[in-house]
Amino acid sequence: MISNDTALMAHLLRRAGFGASRDELEKYLAMGYDGAVETLLNPSDPGNMPDDLIRRYHVEQSELRDLAGSAAYWMYRMISTTSPMEEKIALFWHSLFATGYAKLNQARSLLNQVDMFRRSGLENFQDLLLELSRDPAMILWLDNNENHGTAVNENYGRELLELFSMGIGNYSEDDVKECARAFTGWTLGNAEYMAIRAAKDSIWPYGRIAWHFEYRDEDHDGGEKTFLGETGRFNGEDIIAIIVKQESTARFLATRLFEFFAADKVTEAGEKVIGEMMATYFSSGYQVRDMLRTLFHSDYFRSEEARFARVKGPAEMVVGAIRMAGNYQNPALGIEKVSNAMLYMGQGLLQPPSVEGWHEGLEWINSGALVERVNFAAKELSNVKSPGVRSIIDRLEAGSKNGVIEPTDLADRCLDLLGPIQVSEDTRSVLVDYATRQGDLHLAGHQPGDEAEQRVGNMLRLVAATKEYQLA
Amino acid sequence: MSTQTQSPSIALDYVKTIGIVNNGLNGRGFANPYDTAVDSDGNIYVLNRCDPARASAIRVGVCNLDEEYLREFGRGNGSGDGQFIWVVAMALGSGNRLFITDEYNHRVTVYDTGGNYLSHWGVAGSGDGELNGPAGIAIDSTGSVIVVDQHNSRVQKFTDDGKFIAAWGSFGSGEGQFNLPWGVAVDGQDNVYVCDWRNDRIQKFSNDGEFLAAYGEPGYGEGQFQRPTGVAVDPEGFIYVADWGNERVQVLGPDGGFQLLLHGEATVSKWAEDYFASNPEEKAERDSANLKPDLPSHLNTPYHVSSQTEPYFWGPVSVTLDSQGRLYVAETNRHRLQVYRKR
Amino acid sequence: MTTTKRDKSLIVIQLTGGNDYLNTVVPYGEGRYYDSRSTVNIPQDRVIPLDGKVGFNPSMGAMKSLWDEGKVAVINGIGYQTPNRSHFRSMDIWHTAEPDAIGKEGWLGRAIRDFDPGGENVLTGINFGRGLPRSLACQGVSVASVGDLATYGLFPDVEDEELRMFTLEAFARMYGNTAGRDPVLNFLGQTGQDALHGADILRTAPAMYSSSVEYAPNSLAQNVKSISQVFHAGLGARVLYTTHASFDTHSGELPTHAKLWDEVSGAVGCLMDDLKEHGREDDAAILIFSEFGRRIKDNGSGSDHGSGGVAFLIGGAVEGGMYGEYPSLAEAEQLEGDLRSNNDFRSVYTDILEDWWGLDAAPIVNGQFEKLNVFRS
Repeated sequence: MISNDTALMAHLLRRAGFGASRDELEKYLAMGYDGAVETLLNPSDPGNMPDDLIRRYHVEQSELRDLAGSAAYWMYRMISTTSPMEEKIALFWHSLFATGYAKLNQARSLLNQVDMFRRSGLENFQDLLLELSRDPAMILWLDNNENHGTAVNENYGRELLELFSMGIGNYSEDDVKECARAFTGWTLGNAEYMAIRAAKDSIWPYGRIAWHFEYRDEDHDGGEKTFLGETGRFNGEDIIAIIVKQESTARFLATRLFEFFAADKVTEAGEKVIGEMMATYFSSGYQVRDMLRTLFHSDYFRSEEARFARVKGPAEMVVGAIRMAGNYQNPALGIEKVSNAMLYMGQGLLQPPSVEGWHEGLEWINSGALVERVNFAAKELSNVKSPGVRSIIDRLEAGSKNGVIEPTDLADRCLDLLGPIQVSEDTRSVLVDYATRQGDLHLAGHQPGDEAEQRVGNMLRLVAATKEYQLA
Repeated sequence: MSTQTQSPSIALDYVKTIGIVNNGLNGRGFANPYDTAVDSDGNIYVLNRCDPARASAIRVGVCNLDEEYLREFGRGNGSGDGQFIWVVAMALGSGNRLFITDEYNHRVTVYDTGGNYLSHWGVAGSGDGELNGPAGIAIDSTGSVIVVDQHNSRVQKFTDDGKFIAAWGSFGSGEGQFNLPWGVAVDGQDNVYVCDWRNDRIQKFSNDGEFLAAYGEPGYGEGQFQRPTGVAVDPEGFIYVADWGNERVQVLGPDGGFQLLLHGEATVSKWAEDYFASNPEEKAERDSANLKPDLPSHLNTPYHVSSQTEPYFWGPVSVTLDSQGRLYVAETNRHRLQVYRKR
Repeated sequence: MTTTKRDKSLIVIQLTGGNDYLNTVVPYGEGRYYDSRSTVNIPQDRVIPLDGKVGFNPSMGAMKSLWDEGKVAVINGIGYQTPNRSHFRSMDIWHTAEPDAIGKEGWLGRAIRDFDPGGENVLTGINFGRGLPRSLACQGVSVASVGDLATYGLFPDVEDEELRMFTLEAFARMYGNTAGRDPVLNFLGQTGQDALHGADILRTAPAMYSSSVEYAPNSLAQNVKSISQVFHAGLGARVLYTTHASFDTHSGELPTHAKLWDEVSGAVGCLMDDLKEHGREDDAAILIFSEFGRRIKDNGSGSDHGSGGVAFLIGGAVEGGMYGEYPSLAEAEQLEGDLRSNNDFRSVYTDILEDWWGLDAAPIVNGQFEKLNVFRS
């Protein structure tokens, strides 16, 4: 029987990563739960596919002119990383500080933003908001390049409070105005030329020109401002220092982290964890890593209640299946098809539908998206040529008596090795019936791609098509 | 802009920029160029690698120094006769023949300069004469074709119809060993220079594969390389290297000693002028922009600097010399050639 | 609002990349056209004349025949007030009918929701091609996205028919039980059943169709053929959508643009023949649009992103002819070097929503827009 340790570790890796193959799972099990949490929360050498290799074979991922190549570039990072939390936290911030290609037409700078999420995403929230406010993609996305000392544009100031920190209802319209004033003069280099190029989607004459932050003191409103009850000649840094002190900010951040890493729905037990994460937020000096540590060590997170309490997002679905199958570990023709698969499931990387990000949870599911999800995972995991699937076949054989596997065992072992995935009795009985149709499986002396191996592939296909596989 | 040693014995003047990004399937402009060749009439052949969205139009574009776009040829995405998937490099041989490597199809495809498909040769494998990811290609004075066989970590020599002559090299970082080698060139004595890409050096061999010298080491300084991709040698023995990862071109003396650096100083090509003529409002903003801005410290890698600085080389992948001593630097990420001339 | 009206279908062909209006409906009688388009023009003697002033691109022979039959409405100078010349943004504007803010719902998605508020027919809207154009996206609206009609549905890569059947049966059983206690699993079950059901129905379409019309082998014509098959199968599809690309002709425009229009015009000609053969000419209307037109002045090889464009509405129920004025090419009338649009795209949407479908247009297109009266009354 599957031990609770294994099930719990698999749960942790679905949340702090993209799920795990059995080899990966065993590596983390050897560390123990606490050790695994620390390893995940302290990404060191991410072991990503190196940039020089990617650039050599994929010119589009060297230039990053268009969306397709840019999404594929990030896809390689997610697929090949040995520090999955680094990519998961970047994805979290990308969903929360949702910045989209459509208005910017500048993927290199979007990926620079994602790099910033990797670098600072587990660190101090105050520093992160500061970097975000200086991020040129964000500046253009929310029109802060149009926010002048003489003519205030409130867009960034408003969303900073509403969508990125405190949440609506915790500040006044005057606070929005004062906040916006404080960020006047925060713009990007060659703002006017870059803005016209963005507006026209100009790649002319020699491709895109990437962006960098520029502070224009002469365009900054240096006057006195009153923000959330404090008064002074505030600049953006001062505003952020005030924002992060608010309880509403702590609640906002703790809730969003909880929903992304723990459960789509916040139950009563979940509220308690959010409270603990808020306390950590203040006691640690706004450290995101410490908040997540609190979450991962909470009784709630470790309980059965939290398991499979999230609908897999398209990134988790696609990256999880590819990593499990062990594909795309080296640059290969067709990687952009993998990122397109995510798009077809409703989550185009680098192209959130609006600044509010994606509608997650059950809203990922509709009949069109479900067909895409099932077909993708089923195809990926049924291919017995894939190294990850071959490893599953080898484990099945090694765990059998003389290579003979009874139908019930075949279903149970496949559920185990792809997760372990916990399924309803109804689902399990369908899987068992499906396996029973062909009787005992004889794996002894199996050859690559033979009928016995393909039976395993067929079983894995069906497991990947279960309702339960849709959940993380 | 060029940086020079105390007493360089070579000087290069910037001549002009040719090119514009082409995001369509045909016509003027380049699509991620990977190599160039120049014939004795001054026709410039540009090998367009193309991104996946434009793979059906992988092609050779032909233009000249006066920036006339003359024609194009090649058959898009596939493994049929004359088709390409991942083109890497090109060499001009006798009889107006262009030899083009395809690292996905593991073969060399031959076209004439008029655009007629002639043949292809090479099969996937690791035995003598078999190829695994052919990259750089050069033709020596006897007409032998030298192909860098990247995944087999070796250099192979063929007759011009693909018959195996010789091979040398193995995987590693010692003398005569390679790690994902790329570009190749021959000098006036038919010595062979190979870009040992992941070992960040240039290796020099005799025509039959005897190791003669290695130049460079990993690094950002003078005489150091980051993933060199292309090499050319002029009649006086100066060695021009596309120092790809450092986003620059380096020139070494015949003894391998550092001579000078080019960082790129692209200007508006004729085709770019045409674009700005129909987009004057964009030109007006460009004219008041600083195209060589100071950048925040976290963007200070050569790659990031070049992504933000349009005149600099970005993805300088190949260096080609013509018979007049002109140097053509193809930039993959900027879809253009910068032309220099030896003073 | 009558039920018969609600049976009408709209077939959309989206020209992605920014179709060059000036070389599609060519103002060959206007000297300024040839002055501005010194390289990238259609010579006067090659234009297919329509009314003495403008004419079709020479590749649009099939559309000219339909024009002669009075079935083609040419909607001149279409666009919106402050043009956006970015592909993505402008296409979003067309898709969401929302030029000023970032819209969240597609106009056709909203129409589908009006047709089928309970989401009972997952085939009310179908896109032919992978993915989902934003015009069809709307919370709570399921739209089928058909890459290949022949293999549409679950497990298309399973070639062994028997194995696929067994797998589909197992899937049906696993998703069939929606009486559990977990609302998430129940919803997944229901959605899985919808998907199976939609695929089962859709796969019957090709068998229910026969026609003497032969569509060309290019991808657009094949998608249009699939559209015809599904339309004629009578599955209740109201919106049948496909896209063709790329009209982003910055370089080498003349041959590329000619080929693209040969494909579009040819596919439309076949579809109209097909509808006629089945006696359904009056039950479908074809909308052809692009996100923007292109610069008046060429760039020596192609043309760059511009504003005012052209749309077409084609069908037996359409009152053929020119709608709106061709925007002036005079320098003083230009908008930053582009044709100034004089027809708001939401007017055409309003015609379709109200006169073709009998829906209330204003909430769908975010306001009141004067109709062009393109449909015969």
